[in-house]
Parts: sequence; structure tokens; C-alpha cells
Amino acid sequence: MSRIAKVLIANRGEIAVRVIRACREQGLATVAVFSEADRESLHVMLADEAYPIGAAPSTESYLVIDRILTAAKTAGADAVHPGYGFLAENADFAEACGAAGLTFIGPPPAAIRAMGDKTAARRIARDLGVPMVPGGVDAIASDAAAIAAAREIGYPVMVKAAHGGGGKGMRLVRREEELEGALRMSRGEAGAAFGNAAVYLERAILEPRHIEVQILADAHGHVVHLGERECSIQRRHQKLIEESPSPFVDPDMRRRMGEAACRIAKAAGYVNAGTIEFLVDAERRFYFLEMNTRLQVEHPVTEMVTGRDLVREQLRVAAGEPLGYGQEDVGWRGAAIECRINAEDPFAGWLPSPGVITGLRPAGGPWVRDDSGVYEGWTVPRFYDTLLAKLIVWAPDRDAAIARMTRALDEYRVAGVRTTIAFLRRLVDHAEFRAGRLSTGLLERLMPELTAAESSRQTLAVVAAVLAEQEHGAEIVQPAPTTAWRSAAQPAWRSR
Amino acid sequence: MTRWVVTVDGQPTPVEVEGGRDGRYRIVVGDRTLEVDARRTADGQWSLLIDGVSHVADVVRAGRGTRVDIEGSTYVVEVEEHARHVIRTRGAAGGRAGTQTVTAPLPGKVTHVAVAPGDRVERGDPLVVIEAMKMENEFRATAAGTVTEVRVAAGQAVNAGDVLAVIQ
Repeated sequence: MSRIAKVLIANRGEIAVRVIRACREQGLATVAVFSEADRESLHVMLADEAYPIGAAPSTESYLVIDRILTAAKTAGADAVHPGYGFLAENADFAEACGAAGLTFIGPPPAAIRAMGDKTAARRIARDLGVPMVPGGVDAIASDAAAIAAAREIGYPVMVKAAHGGGGKGMRLVRREEELEGALRMSRGEAGAAFGNAAVYLERAILEPRHIEVQILADAHGHVVHLGERECSIQRRHQKLIEESPSPFVDPDMRRRMGEAACRIAKAAGYVNAGTIEFLVDAERRFYFLEMNTRLQVEHPVTEMVTGRDLVREQLRVAAGEPLGYGQEDVGWRGAAIECRINAEDPFAGWLPSPGVITGLRPAGGPWVRDDSGVYEGWTVPRFYDTLLAKLIVWAPDRDAAIARMTRALDEYRVAGVRTTIAFLRRLVDHAEFRAGRLSTGLLERLMPELTAAESSRQTLAVVAAVLAEQEHGAEIVQPAPTTAWRSAAQPAWRSR
Repeated sequence: MTRWVVTVDGQPTPVEVEGGRDGRYRIVVGDRTLEVDARRTADGQWSLLIDGVSHVADVVRAGRGTRVDIEGSTYVVEVEEHARHVIRTRGAAGGRAGTQTVTAPLPGKVTHVAVAPGDRVERGDPLVVIEAMKMENEFRATAAGTVTEVRVAAGQAVNAGDVLAVIQ
């Protein structure tokens, strides 16, 4: 362990920006890396230095270990923060950083191997007696083996990427005839996203809640948990809304889940920030799902309710400092919600929407946080994931947090690309969400209702546009707006 | 009566407007018929009363498109007189009845082609999988028919608007 003075961020987008901000606040110099598609990206402009690492596809840039290490050497960086995704859970990368004399801001390679390989992680949890979803602890060798394993586990089964995360490479299979297709798509996605196509099977618990526990461990044997995040609002196993605390978890359950999480972390020799994911059924039974050996996308909701900056904690732990506090010092206050603003069209099959952001006006006001990686005029590249920004709010209780999120989503404007904003606005305001009746199947169940409402609004828009056209003669045509919605004469997105 | 074609997201919809006396209209949008009581307020907003429910729309005409802001959602639509639309699009590809031209809505890489020329498909059958922005997006048949052409192969890069397959 050594002092850290200059950090290379081996990532892009909002998380690179988030890490740069934490480094700046700690007085650390920052180094960005970028692909050809990210030359004008926000993280490149915010870092003290930035180095090109290759072509647009991540397999030729953000996933190439040698290029990142070369950039670190050129810049004279002494530490590397991997963010999430890309190389964040790649033990070889963590090891290569160490071999190059760089401090890897994350867990030791052995802990990544132990927990990052989801099948090995299941073995550790099983040996500790932590409850688990029934299923294999080994990667599936062939389609025939998968068919046999699925018969033994019993349908429905979940196909999951052994080295995955973020829902990529994950497929629900209800019947045997769907299995082959699901294996193909899972392997394809897993291979593209993680460079490893291994998959495994486990029993699918239908309509569970997805609740995860944040842990922090230092190099001196201290492990604490920072409570839970509920991430049940998902589509295709990609989280869309996260919150802390979970409206389903009481103090006793929080304590038991937290203890299980800390035990798993200790058994794995874990150091730094990590997350233990659980599935929770309607009877409040929780099952170990997997451990994510990195910072999570949704870490801000934990920061908002605990008052602890997780990236700062990662930097401190990586520098060899002790946590300096125990479990009894960790407290929670109020409620926080995060909404993911993705460049996708929820009403057109969640189709990605790359392109130029012609207008951007983020939400603001008290207890509203915009963790964004974009700016007006920037082009959303088609090579990476669709996350543009995370909108996070805090309030004294969940109802007030929902009201604040609704207000903030009303304010947040993105033009030029399709986003999830209007959809999230409706979802957060829905009676089921307000009541906290969450499950990983809720979004899919509400889709027809939300889509029908959208279709009606679109019809109204058509009616209004035609009537305006008919009256054209009597109307003063607005001057061409300077950006997507602003014009000197009349702001079209006025409040009402 | 006036007739229009309104395009939203590249999908043209025929619209017919009747009436207008005292702001009362009968408007047919695609297959929906609406009785609309419409008022243009002094500040340029449209107040639409439909089935006893009031809606407020902000309409700004800018360039070729019209931007409508309604209940927190923003739509950019193109309004065209019906006759003009017919003249402009006459002879365009894919216009024949019963022909489905499946195009790539965004750039990406074809990872799987599920059909071959001559295959019979039902509505909803998977045709092509395109990987874009780290997700595999499956494109399905919007109606039953026979595949007459497949213009892409697995591994191939496609641009937005490229024809993937033709179904008759």
C-alpha cells in the first residue's frame, strides 16, 4: 500500500466523471483515457490529462489492458480506478496494475477471482451457509449439459453470464424449447461485454425483489455494511430505478442481510467497496445471488442516506488507510431514489437512440443530484451503453423523495435523442411504485398500461399539431430556435 | 373537411378534420375518431377538451417540423397536406400492399439472422438480431408472410435505414 497522488480512470461516461470529481476533492491529479469515439467526451475535458487508447469499439480501447497501462506510465499515474463495467471485474487487469507498480483502486485480484467468477462465489456462499437460489455452481459446458441441468433444477431457469454483471447475458427460460436460443444470446452478449462467454443456470424465482447490500472493507480486517439498495425496477434485467432504504426491509432484516454480506466479504478476503446482491421473495426470505467486486452504478443512493462518499472511501482504502469507524457508527437518514436516464426509447422496444444531444437542461434544486456524463451538442456514440446520466434525489421520507423525483424528472430535458425520462416520470408516479409494491416483474407488467397512455398522448399531439397547421395563416411563425427548444420569443418548455 | 398526413417517428398517419364551428371538431387519427373541443389560448397554447377531459398542448412550429409538448412529453411531428404527401411519396419503395421492408432503425452489428428466403413467418417471429450499444436487439415480423429477400448476414455492420429483409 502506498500514497496515491495521481489516478488514471480506466473508464468513460458518467462514472469517469464521478471518479474525477472525488479525486479532485481529495486533491488528487486525474488522468482520463479515451477511444476515438470519446475524443470530445466530458470525462476527457474534466480530467487534468487525457490519453487516446484506440479505436471506438471497446475491444480495441477500454478493454485493452496494455494500452491503459501504457497511458498510466506516460502520465506518471500511481493508481488506477476501473469504474464499473469494462475491466472493473477483470482479475488479470488488477494483477497487471500491481505488476506495473500501480495501486488498483478495487479488491485484490484473488478476491475478484473468488467472487467475480459467479460460480466460485456461489460455492463460497454455500460453504458459509448463506441461503442461495437452487442451481449449479459450475459453468455450463454444452447445450446438452444445459438441458440436463435445467431439467434437474426445474423450470423456469435463469441463464446467467459466469463473468457477468449489469444484467448482460441474462435470460429467463420458461420451457426447454427456449433454452437453446437463450444460451446463444446469453453467450453472445456475455462474450461481447465481458470477453468471456461462460454461462450457468439457476432456478428463476418469479417476481422477486432485487435487494443488494453495500459493503466496505479495509486492508486491516475491518468490514462494515452501509445498508441496502432496492433495485427491483428492471427491464431485461437492467436496473432502471434504485432506492435506499428498501421499503420492504425492516431493521432486523437489514441487520441479518448486512451480516451475511460482511461474512461473504470476509471469507473472500475482500478489500475495498463491494456489493452483495440478494433476491428476496414475498415471504422476506433472501437468497445470495452474486457479489459485484466494484463500485455499482447505483452507489449514490447509499451515499445520500449514509452521508459517506463511496469513491472517497475507495481511494482511502486503496491507499492503505483504515476505515476508522465501525458498524455502530454507520447510520441512515431519510430516503434516496435514483433514476437512470438512458438514450433509449421505452415505447419502441427500448431501442437504443444514439445521436446528437441538441438540447439539455438538467434538473436542479434542493437535494437533487445529476451524475451526468454528457453535455449539449455532444454526440452519444453507438459503441457503448446507453446511460447518459443518473438523477438522484434525497428527502426525509420515501413519499417526499417520490414527490421530489417527479418534480425533478419534469424539469429534466434532453432533446435530439430519445430518453427514458418521460417513461420514468410516469413510473415513479404510478400507484404500485408509490405503494412500494415492487418486484423485478413490475415494469413488464405495467408496460401495456404505460404504453397505452403514451399512445393516447401521441394522438393528442397529432391533433394539436394539425389544428395549429390549419390556423397557420393567423399565426405568427416562431423564429428558428437557437437550440432544440429555446427561442427568443417563447420558451416552449415552460412550467405550468 | 381537410385531410392531412402526420409523421411521427417516421410513421405516417392519415388525419381528417371536420367541423370547426365554435372550436368543435370531429378528427379521425388513423383508426380513432375523436370529438374535440379546441381553443387556442391567448398565450399560444392549445386547450383540447375530449370526452370531458381537458388537455393542454404547447405547439411550436420550427422549420419543417412541429414540436408539441403535452403532459410532460415532447413530440416532433411533421404535418403535410394529404395531396402533397401522396405526390411526394408516389412510387417510393416498399409502398406495395402486403410488402414488409424491414430496415435497421439504428447502426450496429448483425449477430444473428433467423430466417432465409422462402421461409414462412408469423407476426412476431424473430427475423434478425442487431447488437448496438451493448444490447442485442431482436427485430420481429410485424405481419405474417413469406421472406423474399434477406440482405444481411451475421457479423455484418449495418447503418440506420439499411434494408435487412423483405417479407411479402
